[in-house]
Amino acid sequence: MASSLFCAVCLVCIDFLHKTMYLIDSCEYMTMDYNIAERQNFCFLRKEQGEQKRMKMVKAEDLTYEYVRILETDHGTKEEKVAALKQVNIEINKGEFVAVLGHNGSGKSTFAKHINALLQPTGGTLWVEDMDTKNEELIWDIRQTAGMIFQNPDNQLVATIVEEDIAFGPENMGVEPSEIRKRVDEALATVRMTEYATHAPSKLSGGQKQRIAIAGVLAMHPECIVLDEPTAMLDPVGRREVLQTIERLNREEGITMILITHYMDEAVRADRVFVIDDGDLVMQGTPKEIFSQVDKIKEYGLDVPQVTEVAHLLRQEGIMLPEDILTIEEMVGAICQYKSTI
Amino acid sequence: MSIQINHLTHIYNPGTTFEKVALDDVTLEIKKGEFIGLIGHTGSGKSTLIQHLNGTISPTSGEILLDGENIHKDKTKLRDVRRHIGLAFQYPEYQLFEMTVYKDVAFGPTNLKLAPKQIHENVVQALETVGISEEIYQKSPFELSGGQKRRVAIAGVLAMNPEVLILDEPTAGLDPRGRDEILEAIRQLHEKRGITVILVSHSMEDIAKLVDRIVVMHHGKAAMQGTPKEIFSHVEELEQMGLAAPQVSYVFAELKKRGYDVPTDIYTVEEAKKVLYELIKQVKV
Amino acid sequence: MIRDITIGQYYPAESPIHRLDARLKIIVTFLFIVSLFIVNSIWGYICVALLLGMVIKASRVPVKFMTKGLKSILFIIIFTAIINLFLTPGEDVLWEFGVLHITIQGIYMAIRMCIRLVLLIVGSSLLTLTTTPIQLTDGLEYLLHPLKKIGVPAHEIAMMMTIALRFIPTLLDETDKIIKAQQARGADFDTGNMMQKAKSMIPILVPLFISAFRRAEELAMAMEARCYHGDENRTRMNMMKMQSADYRAMGMVVLYFIIIAGLRMAEVFVPNWI
Repeated sequence: MASSLFCAVCLVCIDFLHKTMYLIDSCEYMTMDYNIAERQNFCFLRKEQGEQKRMKMVKAEDLTYEYVRILETDHGTKEEKVAALKQVNIEINKGEFVAVLGHNGSGKSTFAKHINALLQPTGGTLWVEDMDTKNEELIWDIRQTAGMIFQNPDNQLVATIVEEDIAFGPENMGVEPSEIRKRVDEALATVRMTEYATHAPSKLSGGQKQRIAIAGVLAMHPECIVLDEPTAMLDPVGRREVLQTIERLNREEGITMILITHYMDEAVRADRVFVIDDGDLVMQGTPKEIFSQVDKIKEYGLDVPQVTEVAHLLRQEGIMLPEDILTIEEMVGAICQYKSTI
Repeated sequence: MSIQINHLTHIYNPGTTFEKVALDDVTLEIKKGEFIGLIGHTGSGKSTLIQHLNGTISPTSGEILLDGENIHKDKTKLRDVRRHIGLAFQYPEYQLFEMTVYKDVAFGPTNLKLAPKQIHENVVQALETVGISEEIYQKSPFELSGGQKRRVAIAGVLAMNPEVLILDEPTAGLDPRGRDEILEAIRQLHEKRGITVILVSHSMEDIAKLVDRIVVMHHGKAAMQGTPKEIFSHVEELEQMGLAAPQVSYVFAELKKRGYDVPTDIYTVEEAKKVLYELIKQVKV
Repeated sequence: MIRDITIGQYYPAESPIHRLDARLKIIVTFLFIVSLFIVNSIWGYICVALLLGMVIKASRVPVKFMTKGLKSILFIIIFTAIINLFLTPGEDVLWEFGVLHITIQGIYMAIRMCIRLVLLIVGSSLLTLTTTPIQLTDGLEYLLHPLKKIGVPAHEIAMMMTIALRFIPTLLDETDKIIKAQQARGADFDTGNMMQKAKSMIPILVPLFISAFRRAEELAMAMEARCYHGDENRTRMNMMKMQSADYRAMGMVVLYFIIIAGLRMAEVFVPNWI
């Protein structure tokens, strides 16, 4: 009895020693620093190639995307080729705020996913800066240059704490820890969410979540942000918050903004508008040029601002108000002017 | 079927640090066959209110009378209440689960244990009302377009033949075409069936086009009530509550401010055109 | 109703225990559990309990939170006690009925097992109560890292835990919504036999699964868009660094083990203390 107990104690002691060794081992591992220099060369292939000043932010040449859909018919299944994008040519300049309009299923989201290299074109080419999205070596550079925000604010936040989520992008890029901390704080301040740094994302409102998502992309220091219907699931307050953030980032930080939407009141604020219908780029121009064509816009299943429509109807009655009225102020101004000229 | 809401108050997590007064002494009357628009920003208490009507949550104090009877008095009758007051939640298409559109819509009436013939009748009628054609009946609900899915989901509630239908944000996330389809379906069902409809929405334009009466919720209270004309002439008060009136309402408020003699209760494009036409012609003379 | 469930319960407070390195806390908790099986005497348990009590005091977590955790496993404790009480073989039989018998040894065994279980639960709940989920997963990732050589996907496990923790509240909310929506369509979840009840879950589970898959797909795309490509060349914002307090705590753990081993050794010389 006693001898067996003694053996047990010995075993425990050996085990204990073993555990202690392990503890010490893991401590060594814990304090070991990352080899940061090794990480840095990973994400920045492009920077070495030298940047050209005048290149376009995004350039699409005959961009085509086709996929195969399986249809169930009475005679078994049938494969059908569907073109989501048909030879689209688009150029977006640096620092621009553009809106891409189209109804659901028009191909506008497909276009957005190409910019982020989440989809590869089946025909034609898309360049982000001078990087061809088909070049797989450049994929991380492209994603860092053109960040992306999705529709559902819940399904793009990864971490359980706001600041950890914002750090996610830079962490993936292998940025140095102290630099990540700096970027996270800056990004939080830019979207005006600093006080929520340690909150849980699930406790925030939709608009706040979407701003955190934007901060997460900002921390990757992108040149361009693609927003795929970022306000579709938000209430009016949330929509206003997000839209103001987008406009401010464009104006103050000079980040190119590509807003995919079907809300005309958001598109009205952009520098330029593209309308995509059934995979074709059907209209492009300033908001005034686009929305003044009331009948055409409606044909594509979209809205025009109420005041634009009123002006359009009045023109049909022979009252020649300008046809590019988009805002309340412009409408009121136009009526006052019309009155004074008579 | 009329609904009378008396001094309804609801407090979440009473007695804890998370205590929140969601509804604060709300008194409302909804008459049979009325088309009501319920507006308010997120957290104003409007979703708490509609969940009370459907009996999914019970009041802290106050009562809801359905044809004079308190719906929360007898818990065993709640299923009966839900049969009379149908509620389609936000993003109702996320609740579709059956293999076919037909079966999914039949889920409600089957739960009510109706006769098979009656179920069939209800399902077909409901799908017809929301404009879903017969060739779609046997399709999987997951193959449909966004607008179609939503209409099928609404039909699922409608198939229980409720006398009151509550729709929570029926147009959220839809594009203009999908939105117009849904709103048209709702207008039709109100017209054809003559049932009471309560439409909850952030979108003033949607509400302005359809409803007879608007109830504005703010901080758990029914802050304003009236016809769209009455409500939308108070542009500034709406702004203060974080809400916006239709764009043309602002034009008339601004014109009035600049000294023009225009009515301020205009909220649709057609009316606006008519009034502005008159105004400009007047000027010419 | 369903929102009352809390998982990964963390008690926020400013205490030396909260500030300790998560990796150290995980190892210590593990060692603590091992030590519970080394200790064999009542004196040993008193010693362990006293020490645990001191740590709880230092952590500033109300004892109420500890006992709450015990309540949920009361059944397991009682079950263990009964099994040990009736089925432990021994010489000093007090009562016998068929295979069931109560012996002096059995009573001791039952008491020992209960004390062990209680200490085990309290000790390990102290870990989750004083460590945020994110520190916990980070700590686990670091600790599992050496095992990558033998094919343990340490980073992936930690990332899965993070995402699970992130989406639990979201999915609970969603379940609540789906239940209400199906109730509005007259669904009945409360009456009927087992079979009917199981069947009535389908209208909840199908939409929940579809939604979870949709979320997973979208999340995967969002993560890719943010340059996620596994842990290759990945850095972390919050590097875990051992502080002097951590080393001191480590010293205390060593001391603790010497005492435990000493007590066990003492039994060798005084085997019939109890």
